[in-house]
Amino acid sequence: MNPTLDLLYRLADDQLILGHRNSEWNGLGPILEEDIAFSSMAQDKLGHSLQLYGLLHELGEAEPDTVAFTRNAPQFHCCQLTELPIGEYDFSLIRHFLFDHAELLRFEALADSSYEPLALVARKVKGELKYHVLHANTWVKRLGTATEEAIERMQAALEFTLPYALSIFETTEAEPEIISSGLFIGEAELQARWEASISKVLAQTALTLPDLRTLTPVAGGRQGQHTEHLQPLLDEMAEVFRLDPTADW
Amino acid sequence: MTGIIYLLPSSIPFPLLFSFDPRISRLELPEVPSLPTDKVALDQFPTYEVFHQRKENAAYAYVGPVHAPEADVAFLFAKEQFSRRFPCTGMWVVPTSAIKVTEYGDDQQSVYDRLPLLPADELGTAAATGQESYDIFHLKKRGKAHAHVGQVQAASPEAALQAAKAAFGDQRPVVNVWVIRSADLLRSDDEDRDMWTTTPDKKYREAISYKVQDRIDRFKQEG
Repeated sequence: MNPTLDLLYRLADDQLILGHRNSEWNGLGPILEEDIAFSSMAQDKLGHSLQLYGLLHELGEAEPDTVAFTRNAPQFHCCQLTELPIGEYDFSLIRHFLFDHAELLRFEALADSSYEPLALVARKVKGELKYHVLHANTWVKRLGTATEEAIERMQAALEFTLPYALSIFETTEAEPEIISSGLFIGEAELQARWEASISKVLAQTALTLPDLRTLTPVAGGRQGQHTEHLQPLLDEMAEVFRLDPTADW
Repeated sequence: MTGIIYLLPSSIPFPLLFSFDPRISRLELPEVPSLPTDKVALDQFPTYEVFHQRKENAAYAYVGPVHAPEADVAFLFAKEQFSRRFPCTGMWVVPTSAIKVTEYGDDQQSVYDRLPLLPADELGTAAATGQESYDIFHLKKRGKAHAHVGQVQAASPEAALQAAKAAFGDQRPVVNVWVIRSADLLRSDDEDRDMWTTTPDKKYREAISYKVQDRIDRFKQEG
């Protein structure tokens, strides 16, 4: 695939799928204000995906709605981290923490992308991502220093989630060209920045970051290999759209 | 387990591959009726008051309260509650318990005129113990919001009110005054200004962008 399309599909699909997943907390969050906060950030992510699908459309791909709602799981390029069910709040918070740290650093780097339309979108969304990271850090610091139960659960969630989080940085064949053309700094560089960034926050808690070198990333998502959880998500998300794909909204 | 936060029985080991969405999976109710358990104590977070700045260089104005376990979390909730629907360039939060409130005057007067004088020696003694910065907020009219008018240096909230009278007492009307120790206010960082600019093109978030009345009318006529 053309390196620009390859990169954009990965970015957009991550935002759409995690945005949809996080929206499942709507009405079920631990307290009202947090419910609103988490749902609002989920909507932000859908907004980001819309902007990125818009860029794809400008490059000749189908309309954003068509791209979002008519593909099946093997055609999605999101990492497997984003498609896992929401589980309990400890998992959802840790996923939010690990994913959004990577997203903020990613879009800060993309603000200097050689592909100007993408740089423009990145400059617009990084302010929102900064807040998402502030939100994640606040809860991780608070729960990671709270009661024994809270610390245990956050630690367990962290250890479960990390192998999936490493799949954020799975590369494709286009990687060398993405880097050489200045589209993006590349996944390896991003991962190094991410490790430094999450370590800094975790160091302020009772949580311990395992040696990432000992973990095996759960790869495959970028190549269209997904868990059994993605297709049911897509079926539900597209249920209304597929009733009448030509409906005017 | 701690009551209402976790909806699942603790016997389920880290039920990750599980959704709370009832359309995806129903809540797992125990098969055997359980014995009566203790009623969980009600808990309630303290409240924090929120001030926002609607544009660069405008005075911070009171916008409403939030419940939160601590100031950092109050700040997150404040951003969600009060900055998403209209422009905002900065936000402060303060524990409700940290605000000193004067009595209310009527819409024509200034409450500073009715301020009891502090004995000079009290001001003097206090001054010796060290001065701190206080932020002063005025309510100009009932039903409006308190707005920031400035800071004064004083050794107590009472002394700060006297200092505020000297500095801002010529303003009219002043229906009510809030005095807040500056150190108690959690303020948004200037470095994080870009946090307040949300991406445009989110009309789908606003009810007003769904224009359906003409379709409803047409549907009724057809029916």
